[in-house]
Amino acid sequence: MGMCPYPSQKVRCIISKAQRAALILCFASGMVAHAQGRGGGPPAPPPGPPPTAKTAAPIDITGYWVSLVTEDWRYRMATPPKGDVSGVPLNPAGREAANAWDPAKDETAGEQCRAYGVGGVMRMPGRLHITWQDDDTLKIETDAGSQTRILNFKPSGKQGGDWQGVSMANWERQASVMGNGRGGPPPGGSLKAVTTKMKPGYLRKNGVPYSADAVVTEYFERFDEPNGESLLLIITEVDDPAYLATPFWTSTHFKKENDAAGWNPAPCSAQ
Amino acid sequence: MKRTNKGVILSGLLITGVWLSGQTAPRAAAAEESPGFDLSGYWTPAMHEDALERGGGSELGDYAGFALNEAGRLWALSYDASRVTLKHHQCDAYVAPYQMRATGNFRMWEERDPHDQRVVAIHVWAQTTEGHRVIWMDGRPHPPAWAPHTFRGFSTGRFVGDALVVETSHMKQGWLRRNGTPESDQATLLEYFVRHGDHLTNTTIVTDPVFLTEPEVRSNDYFRQVVDHHGWLYACDDGEQILDRAPDKVPNYLFGEQPFAQEFARVYKLPLISGVGGAESMYPEFIAKLKSATDEDGLARMTPVPGRPSETSRAVDPEPHDGEIHVLPIRNNVYMLVGDGGNIVVQVGDQGPFVVDTGTGALAGKTIAAIKKLSDRPVQFIANTSFRADHTGGNVKVRASGLDPSLPGSFFSNQFADAGQGATIMAHQNTQNHMDELKMPAEGAPSDTFLEDRRRKFHNGDSIELFWEPNAVTDGDSIVHFRSADVIVTGDIFTTTEYPFIDVKNGGSVQGEIKALNDILNRTVYEHEEDGGTLVVPGHGYLSNEHEVVEYRDMVVIIRDRVRNMINKGATLEQVKAARLTADYDTRYGKSTGPWTTDMFVEAVYRGLK
Repeated sequence: MGMCPYPSQKVRCIISKAQRAALILCFASGMVAHAQGRGGGPPAPPPGPPPTAKTAAPIDITGYWVSLVTEDWRYRMATPPKGDVSGVPLNPAGREAANAWDPAKDETAGEQCRAYGVGGVMRMPGRLHITWQDDDTLKIETDAGSQTRILNFKPSGKQGGDWQGVSMANWERQASVMGNGRGGPPPGGSLKAVTTKMKPGYLRKNGVPYSADAVVTEYFERFDEPNGESLLLIITEVDDPAYLATPFWTSTHFKKENDAAGWNPAPCSAQ
Repeated sequence: MKRTNKGVILSGLLITGVWLSGQTAPRAAAAEESPGFDLSGYWTPAMHEDALERGGGSELGDYAGFALNEAGRLWALSYDASRVTLKHHQCDAYVAPYQMRATGNFRMWEERDPHDQRVVAIHVWAQTTEGHRVIWMDGRPHPPAWAPHTFRGFSTGRFVGDALVVETSHMKQGWLRRNGTPESDQATLLEYFVRHGDHLTNTTIVTDPVFLTEPEVRSNDYFRQVVDHHGWLYACDDGEQILDRAPDKVPNYLFGEQPFAQEFARVYKLPLISGVGGAESMYPEFIAKLKSATDEDGLARMTPVPGRPSETSRAVDPEPHDGEIHVLPIRNNVYMLVGDGGNIVVQVGDQGPFVVDTGTGALAGKTIAAIKKLSDRPVQFIANTSFRADHTGGNVKVRASGLDPSLPGSFFSNQFADAGQGATIMAHQNTQNHMDELKMPAEGAPSDTFLEDRRRKFHNGDSIELFWEPNAVTDGDSIVHFRSADVIVTGDIFTTTEYPFIDVKNGGSVQGEIKALNDILNRTVYEHEEDGGTLVVPGHGYLSNEHEVVEYRDMVVIIRDRVRNMINKGATLEQVKAARLTADYDTRYGKSTGPWTTDMFVEAVYRGLK
């Protein structure tokens, strides 16, 4: 038996016991083979150097993107009052820290970028400029707070300790433990980034905290609409044993822009 | 109270799917489509974003982040939450994008063809409102423009890349936000579902030519749960909430008099423009505007812009204009024929067709051919809802198609010269009078008229009633109720295409129009959460149920209230017209040319109240 047949009803009706045994072996060997490589399904890569993150990208998220602030509007377009933490699953320590927010003190301490760290910056109204820094590193610049995030597809050796921490990235595709069936892996996919080792910061501008132990997991999705527009969706999970009772989830959208016309870098503001 | 899901599921399928499209689904998949992924299971929404809006309720006057145009903004500001105390609004369901954002758990499952195991549909069941969405995955087309709308609409899906992409049309009018932020019945929805482990994200993109200047993009996150949440039922029956309220009372605020319009801004110490910024409020540049805006900037957006020309309808024309007659099965033995001006209804059976209205007559031959496909019997009766030419233009030819040579042998052939010579045309006497005045052909005039409130007929196994609605569009209008099929044909008392054609010269009046719309609502019953139930055929437009009628009734009452308020203050007709009192409805119903313009409607309302 040279290949695993597609198990349609007609095929099932005519296969013999011996063929069934061969099928089981076939599936089992497929599972073992899959377990050896992430994503499963694709045929053996052609000889030569492994593809870079840039060449392997299933989606293109580079370019200028402007945020569409249609959710949590009051928390994003204005600075909410101290203690207004609606929707964020803070634990008692998190609530206590939020109630102690003092923007003047942050400014004095030179920490006015606390809300522009990796846990909060993507929620800031503004624009993103995403480029390939090199073949295995994506760079995300924000005009709000003039921040730069680096997403590494290969270990960078950086120690973190700044607002944006250390982000490790990989491409994700929908895949099955049984392989992808006929036709290989599906087109498209998403970018997954996991960030650690950052300075403590704010999830929202009014001092809703995350700690240095937080882990920020993000999925970047690109949707190309029939009307020709493109959206970037960033799904974010913040896990923080210090301040959160459960993970904090947001999904933030951006619309593709043709150029840098709207790009308007501004410094961090604690107020 | 125990509710059965079976009926709900059946109605969902009936209304949104099988019955509407009635076509074999093509099987071909687009080249870019992917094999798909599993969405089945129990899902709980993560309400971390917009927690207050989605939980306790949105702030009054907060439309921030919505690309509302002037009409949408004014519609929202006119909205009084007490409107949900009205019997016909108490059980309003949620339109699809709001449903996906609602509190409560969700269950999703696949429906597969038992023979080839292809995915036929993905079902979504929401706890709140028993919201059942069916996403057809088999490539079937969306229904035509004259097909009914439901709260969840008609959805088709396909897997593209790592997303399930869903397109939805045919939704009813509903909410984008619970504080009255509107979504019109012309809105369409594009969705992307993506799954990462036990986390599902649904991005909704609402395009609404009536109320939005840009698509509204939002997203909803859900966690997968292992355990059945139970509590999947959501019983709702309407009842009397406010006694002794006049039937023509619809809670609403006059322009500029919404008492809570400034609440959101004042409570959170924001500029007044915050909640009414429209599309600008979605973009980062709006932060600078917040810093410089004055109260006047905000207040200016809370009333119609003075001196601006009236907007015109941006709704899809529901009539085909292709020179053909299209047949839409309604229920049992009743059909709607679309294509020749006013809608035509045909009931068929052993006793021969009973026809309501005959269109303009331009396509009478094709109308008769379509009727013959439904029944080989001669047409027995024609009921006219009005004398207007787009409802009676085909009378002569359709009547003639009722020629029955077997009848001259009857007793009556000795009494009446025209016995068996054609169908009997029924209408209110005033309709006949108007047709005589207009010297319309005698062969097409009603021969069986009635003078008082009701004419009845048992035909083809159904009880058919004609109710006179005096002084609505004219003084001779009737609605026709097929009681067993539970279908009401309204003539031009109700349309989905324009403001009511109140013909003051021929006895129409706004008060009579409101009464007539309420009379229709007094005879309708919804099946589930304002979907289904009694089906209503408008004079023009798509097949409806009571929800479309009640939104239309609300509109007429609200505009009546505004005009009356100005009359009470001594306003002239010109001042009333200049005040743009229909500004929140013009993008849906407005016309600046043709036989029935917005100006004509406002004048008819004014003259009816003066």
